[in-house]
Amino acid sequence: MTPATSTNPFAFRPSRARALEKGFSWIFRFATYAVLLAGAAVFFHIVAKGASTVFTAAPPFINAEFLFSAPETLYVFEYEGQRHEMGDREFRAFRASLGNPDISAETYAYSAGGIFPCIVGTLLLVGGAMTIALFLGVSAAIYLNEYARDTRAIRLIRLAVVNLAGVPSIVFGLFGFGLFVIFFGWNVSLLAGWFTLAFMVLPVVITASEEALKSIPKGFREGSLALGATKWQTIRKNVLPYALPGILTSSILGIARVAGETAPIMFTAAYVVRDRLPWEVAKWSDFFFQGVMALPYHIYVVSSKIPQNDYTERVQYGTALVFLLVVAAVATASIVLRNKLRKRYKW
Amino acid sequence: MSPAPTSPTPEREFVIRRRRLRFLGLSLDDVIRMFFGSNALVAMVVLGLITVFLFKEGAGFFGDNLDNLRIYRRAGLEYVDYLRRAEAEHTALTRYLSDLRLRTLQHYMNVEKLSVAEANAKLAEFDAFADRFAEPAEPIRGFVSDLTDVVAEIKTKHAVTLDQMEEKRQLVAVGREADADAIVVEPVDFDAELAPVLGTLPAFKEANRTFMRELQIALDDQPTLPTDELNQRLEKFQRLARTFIGTLPQVERDLESWDPTQPIPMWKAFTSFLFGRQWLTASFWQDWYGVLPLLVGSLMVSAVALALAVPLGVGAAIYVNQLASPAEQRFIKPCIEFISAFPSVVLGFFGIVFLGEHLRALSQVEWLSWVPGFPIAERLNVLTAGCLLALLSVPTIFTLAEDALNNVPRAFKEASFALGATRLQTILKITVPAGLSGIISAVLLGFGRVIGETMVVLLCAGNRIAIPDFSEGLAAFTQPVHTMTGIIAQEMGEVVRGSIHYRALFMVGLVLFFLALLINYIAQHIVRRYRISIG
Repeated sequence: MTPATSTNPFAFRPSRARALEKGFSWIFRFATYAVLLAGAAVFFHIVAKGASTVFTAAPPFINAEFLFSAPETLYVFEYEGQRHEMGDREFRAFRASLGNPDISAETYAYSAGGIFPCIVGTLLLVGGAMTIALFLGVSAAIYLNEYARDTRAIRLIRLAVVNLAGVPSIVFGLFGFGLFVIFFGWNVSLLAGWFTLAFMVLPVVITASEEALKSIPKGFREGSLALGATKWQTIRKNVLPYALPGILTSSILGIARVAGETAPIMFTAAYVVRDRLPWEVAKWSDFFFQGVMALPYHIYVVSSKIPQNDYTERVQYGTALVFLLVVAAVATASIVLRNKLRKRYKW
Repeated sequence: MSPAPTSPTPEREFVIRRRRLRFLGLSLDDVIRMFFGSNALVAMVVLGLITVFLFKEGAGFFGDNLDNLRIYRRAGLEYVDYLRRAEAEHTALTRYLSDLRLRTLQHYMNVEKLSVAEANAKLAEFDAFADRFAEPAEPIRGFVSDLTDVVAEIKTKHAVTLDQMEEKRQLVAVGREADADAIVVEPVDFDAELAPVLGTLPAFKEANRTFMRELQIALDDQPTLPTDELNQRLEKFQRLARTFIGTLPQVERDLESWDPTQPIPMWKAFTSFLFGRQWLTASFWQDWYGVLPLLVGSLMVSAVALALAVPLGVGAAIYVNQLASPAEQRFIKPCIEFISAFPSVVLGFFGIVFLGEHLRALSQVEWLSWVPGFPIAERLNVLTAGCLLALLSVPTIFTLAEDALNNVPRAFKEASFALGATRLQTILKITVPAGLSGIISAVLLGFGRVIGETMVVLLCAGNRIAIPDFSEGLAAFTQPVHTMTGIIAQEMGEVVRGSIHYRALFMVGLVLFFLALLINYIAQHIVRRYRISIG
């Protein structure tokens, strides 16, 4: 045993280099946590302000009226010394019950009622767009990964995918407007919105699916082919089943992107206001050719077209919170699932 | 496990010789293969269609714009604009004077504690000076308003004839020849209509001389103001006013040499779009479609966003990849990915209701007044939008930069440690330089993300269509701007389909599209060209 007093050549010795290292590592740490803090600030600001609209203190803890009714104009007025705040319908009923007196009221558009049509519209848009995008994207990825050789044409396709990912969303909006709304004559409709959003998210789905297909070991395919299966049988039975979880989880991130974008649907699918719900159509084919209200567009409308005050704040923060929670839930699900998946499959 | 065949029948066909179903010479596998292949083509087709449709809707713009510019000259609007510009400059100078009067009044009332009446009495001399400066412009103003009416009339007449011709054409197209013949189109005789306008030139020259003389006289007799600072401002006014008088003979010469029949070359339609400094639509006078103010706005917002996002994003990438413990990594990475899922419209909303107001409040704090542009006048401006876009682009930059650092071969790092370098030295001199191409392309892709972002700039950039005033340096970054993405989103819903304004918006989209492709191309090129190969 060496005595404790002997000098250890590896012992910590303070030096300028070490001090510098410490300083720099704190700078980098600061940068990291500044980003996280900024993100948290935005998130919690919206949660704090919106929670009173979306959630209630008493069971069932969510504000069903806000989530499940249509937006209305808010009337604020004083009647016989009492201050009233009422939605459109309630206000009319109130006036009728008093024999329609003249009541001068301040009105705030969209500030009463809820956002049900927007939630429904967003779900429809996302569902349709993802169906199209997954179908096209997964097929394209299968071709690129399973069939294609490294030819000029394939390189060109890959280049197109990469470039498509960089196209600004508003340009997709213009494109959808020019092609679907005008050229195909679909007008502002669900169908136009679906295709616009699907093309926008296509690169994400293709890249994610290719990644998932690539991670399936070659042996799976070779084994199947060696047993006399055709190429398609191999893909269907021995590749896709194992790649599917990966494809789906990575594609959920695409859902977050589709749900979160406003610009592409502004001129292709979104209405500022629409009284009827999407399934209230005369004939079934009208379903595809109707515009819908959507959460992101509604946020844009209520944050830029109506003034900010105590009466409008409720619907503004409420809508933002619902939207943020929906998108965040989708994103979290994809992140968690992917991390789980990474651990599960080790070939 | 299938049971082994017990008694193979000799006449049974060998399985490999079984004929496959063929249709048009294609087996099922071929068909499936072609189906997948056609889906793979979709990406390319979409990219092509985007180009085609942006061109299809936007291409007519240049023809329309050329007509627009030709009418501007032919109807004499250009001629009157020379006068209007001179008048506008004079008005700006009088505004400067009234601003100076306000400052002096404030000085009298706040510093010298005079009553309003006393202060006004003291300003009598100054008021007389201001009046002497303002009054000579009256005849010029008369000229401008008369001529404005005349040429606006000519332009309207021309527009009416165009409408009539269009109506006639449509009637002929549906076969109602008789109705079409009933419409008599009288083409505007521009020369005849313009003659009275040009005829006023001698009278204007006369008026202009008097104007110059009177201004000169007014300037020579200058009052003195109570403080040095105010006097300096008055001196500056003197300088500006004398420069203005110096430009007046030039106006005359411009008017003399102006020729309404001079043709406008084709390339003007392009240059007035690409380098035009004005985006002015739905005006009674003349519409201008210059993309420059929008491009400058987009670039300024991106500059602010990148100035914040690059240090933070790359710093975070270095920290997470090189310095953080595994537990920290597992926490930070999903968090930043989570931030990337923030919808941009929610961030824009946050900017309107919170960030804009609080940034302005912060800028009014005393000890921050040294920052250029502080205190901020407008709630929504370049800085507000830039800060939010920074948050939006950090995840992109972080993820790609972290990937780039991850791809640096381990051997580089190990070799560096083996030579006795510290961790910091290794990071700054080995790992980061080795991953630099990836980091730069990450920054470029972040830039692409920022410049294509719509909702945040639409809600938070202030939407003022003008090139900010760069004379005060960095203070320009606290002014409101409008952006390329913002203008499309804002105006697309309101324009008439097929109008020049509509086409102009598609052209802006086209500029944006090619800008995005260019950024993407450069990013890929850098990665490919400067990649460090292992081995």
